[in-house]
Amino acid sequence: MSEHKPRKSNEVKMPKAFGWMAEYADEQNLLVAARKVRDSGYTQTDAFTPFPVHGIDEALGIKPTILPFIVLCAGFTGLITALLMQWWTNGVDYKYIISGKPFGITPASIPVAFELTILFSAFTTFLGMIFLNKLPRFSNPVFTNPRFDRATDDRFFLYVNAADKYYNRESVKELLAGTHPDSLDEVLDDSTPSTLPRPIVLGALLLVLTGLIPAMIVLNMRASFSTLPRLHVFFDMDFQPKKKAQQTTTVFADGRSMRPQVKGTVGRGQLTEQDPFYLGYDPSKLSADDAFTNVKYVSANASQDPASKDPASTAVPATPAQTAPPQGAATPAPVLNLPWVDKLPASIVEEGNIEANMKLGKLKFETYCAACHGYGGFGDGLVHKRADALAQGYWLPPTSMHIDRVRAQPVGQIFHTITKGQGKMSSYASSLNPAERWAVVLYVKALQRSRNANIEDVPVDSRSALDNELNAEPTK
Amino acid sequence: MNRVNMATVASNFNPREIDNTADIPGRRAQLVTGNQTYSSITNMVCRVAEDPQPLLWYVLFGFSSLTAVMFLSLIGYLILNGVGIWGNMNPVFWAWPIVNFVFWVGIAHAGTLISAILFLFRQNWRTSINRASEAMTIFAVVCAGIYPGIHVGRAWLAFWLLPYPSLNLWMWPQFRSPLLWDVFAVGTYASTSLVFWYMGMIPDIATYRDRSKSPLRRMVYGLLCLGWTGSSRHWLVYEKAYTLLAALAAPLVLSVHTVVSFDFAVSQVAGWHTTIFPPYFVAGAIFSGFAMVVTLLVPSRAIYKLENLITLRHLENMNKIILATGTLVGLAYATEAYIAWYSMNQYEGFTFLNRQFGPYWWAYWTMVSCNVISPQLFWFKKLRTSLFWMVVICVFVNIGMWFERFVITVTSLSRDFLPSSWGYFRPTMYDGLMLFGSFGIFMSLYLLFCRFLPIIAMSEVKGILSIANHEAHAHDESHGQAH
Repeated sequence: MSEHKPRKSNEVKMPKAFGWMAEYADEQNLLVAARKVRDSGYTQTDAFTPFPVHGIDEALGIKPTILPFIVLCAGFTGLITALLMQWWTNGVDYKYIISGKPFGITPASIPVAFELTILFSAFTTFLGMIFLNKLPRFSNPVFTNPRFDRATDDRFFLYVNAADKYYNRESVKELLAGTHPDSLDEVLDDSTPSTLPRPIVLGALLLVLTGLIPAMIVLNMRASFSTLPRLHVFFDMDFQPKKKAQQTTTVFADGRSMRPQVKGTVGRGQLTEQDPFYLGYDPSKLSADDAFTNVKYVSANASQDPASKDPASTAVPATPAQTAPPQGAATPAPVLNLPWVDKLPASIVEEGNIEANMKLGKLKFETYCAACHGYGGFGDGLVHKRADALAQGYWLPPTSMHIDRVRAQPVGQIFHTITKGQGKMSSYASSLNPAERWAVVLYVKALQRSRNANIEDVPVDSRSALDNELNAEPTK
Repeated sequence: MNRVNMATVASNFNPREIDNTADIPGRRAQLVTGNQTYSSITNMVCRVAEDPQPLLWYVLFGFSSLTAVMFLSLIGYLILNGVGIWGNMNPVFWAWPIVNFVFWVGIAHAGTLISAILFLFRQNWRTSINRASEAMTIFAVVCAGIYPGIHVGRAWLAFWLLPYPSLNLWMWPQFRSPLLWDVFAVGTYASTSLVFWYMGMIPDIATYRDRSKSPLRRMVYGLLCLGWTGSSRHWLVYEKAYTLLAALAAPLVLSVHTVVSFDFAVSQVAGWHTTIFPPYFVAGAIFSGFAMVVTLLVPSRAIYKLENLITLRHLENMNKIILATGTLVGLAYATEAYIAWYSMNQYEGFTFLNRQFGPYWWAYWTMVSCNVISPQLFWFKKLRTSLFWMVVICVFVNIGMWFERFVITVTSLSRDFLPSSWGYFRPTMYDGLMLFGSFGIFMSLYLLFCRFLPIIAMSEVKGILSIANHEAHAHDESHGQAH
């Protein structure tokens, strides 16, 4: 057996006796002999059988194994490892939302926890068996007897080890001979060479070294700095057979890789770009020139805009107006000259909707607009009052809705102001949907009317009630 | 010595003709026939690996290894060209690769069931068939594992599925996804089955070592069996470890196909989103696995003349399990269809009508004929004890089980909630060749296993024989008879 290795280095000179080995043809005889040996007080005994013989542990006096407890510990380790791993990886270190599922340890952690419990337990069972049996052990003195080959076939062996404290060579031989074995041999030390043949060692060494080369190359590449482009074994997503924007192509006759819109189709979002309801002006009435100058570059070029027809509304860049009173509105804001919608959309003002929209407009105005513009629209909201009190010098007061310039604005322009913002006022498009914006416009128009109304505007049957109210409560 | 409880059998009776499928009241049927002794069992099993292989082995191995090479080449072609060579196309992106994965994982289940669950239930007849079934489990898991690995598209990055602290990614896998549970379930299953299989083989490899004539063979088997001596102190720990592994593998095998079914059941797709999936998948897995074991063992026992160890009774027992699980699968189909109607869910209802009468009606009815109707033939003892008919039925069962996974995966995806996205799946040549090729891998590994490793758990069969002898001995003595 060439794989044999020396057990102890000082045992090579003289074959040493390790004990007696008796052979039986039948497991019943083995059990009888084993009981006899056990009753004689020997504990360093063993039996070698081709299959686990029922009752041999009792006959030899073998203690139960602690393997199940080791496996239990491993199972718990697996369970805790799995739960901690899932909690750490998905709940702490790399936390991301997926389908709104909760973080940390949840019912979704159970499958992996179960599998790792089994995995840890199973490998511990196997490795524990190997470890407790002190395997692998390739050199074993019991192999020296050629008859022992049948221990894995059909023969049963009983072994008394010389290490037993009661061991006496002659008395053990006598005891075993009394159990009528088929043969009785002394177990001698292995005298075959204990080292591996040199070619096998060299071959294995060469194989291991060759196998290390790719790993070494990879590690070297990882650790070193190079200005050369890296080697691509797989291109992954670094190089893709695709066209990027502005590249040319031979696939299409016009040579463009970006394709123009197909005629008669409407792109995502295009519908709202065409509809006055979403814009506040009618894009179909824009001339090509107007569209270019007014829409695209309005903020930069508004003052030089030749298309501006109203000199009073010529845009002047907003400048700080520290001294301007709230209602003054001395600084004209830049005014666009677009084909504004001058009527509220039918869906907003139609019979049955207008009441609800007025209420909605009031609600939204008081939520979003009144903070600066004030509940009455005079530009005297809380934010303004506070900023004015601080008197820091760079506060631009909100515009009053009741100055002539604003009163003259068509509804579309007010809608546009809410949608896009004006001066310091930012866009409210993200807070108010188009219908809500129109409702706010409706309410603003009502506010303007209410502050500049005369008695003729009030329905005849409500005038007396209004009179009473006016007498009772002074205007704000 | 080594008596066999064959008091009723005349000594000159041909053991091959003994019918051990008959149950005689008051007497246990023999598990191995032919007056076996310990050494005759050793001889019979070791002969398989020691004698020159029959010509048929070379023919089969040549064919299956060529098929396996074709499969591996196609994987190379796939890696170079991408998964576009398959028929996977909107809306069916989980096509044959997943069908084949579930098919092979299902087949794997029989081995663990036989070696673990039947062990825990003290079903001694498992000893003759557990080794080959466990080997089949390992090889089927190898085939199964290939498909998701190459289906990820960038197969060289498949290791990203594992939770390792990466210096390049800076992220972790998503543990709330059933697809990751699958990685853990199948990974645990493959490694635990391998350990269970290997540990079971250690004593038998030691027998191979001790019978080896050539030093090389002796050395290789000697290394593989870790220097096993058959020490009773070792056997004690070994048996405890084997019982523990069986107790661990039994819930594991049930969990694996449960997790595989979660891949489907946790999603929202009609026809997948059902709670019946875990038990239904497990029953189907055992069903297909047993059918594969029978398909393999019938020719194996004939070629290697193992009829006395793998007796007709073993095969009949397996056929009974096929009948039971086949009926369970049929019940699951009926329950699914009933719930689809009873739930009043229009999508669920449509999916089942679409399966039965839609464009894939042929797949559905193939599945029902093979899985529900054909195993019912095993009610007849003539058919379940006929080698020819059991192989025919088992082949049908495996065809049916492949179609079951096809029906589940493809019909549900091809017509889901949005009719404008409906489509019809068409496989390509590569789909077909790669399904066929996986059988090449499977058969090559199985043939190599027969050639080099003990295909029957000799030590376990001897242990059972010892108990049977002991019982017969006690029985004889109680009647005061000489023996």
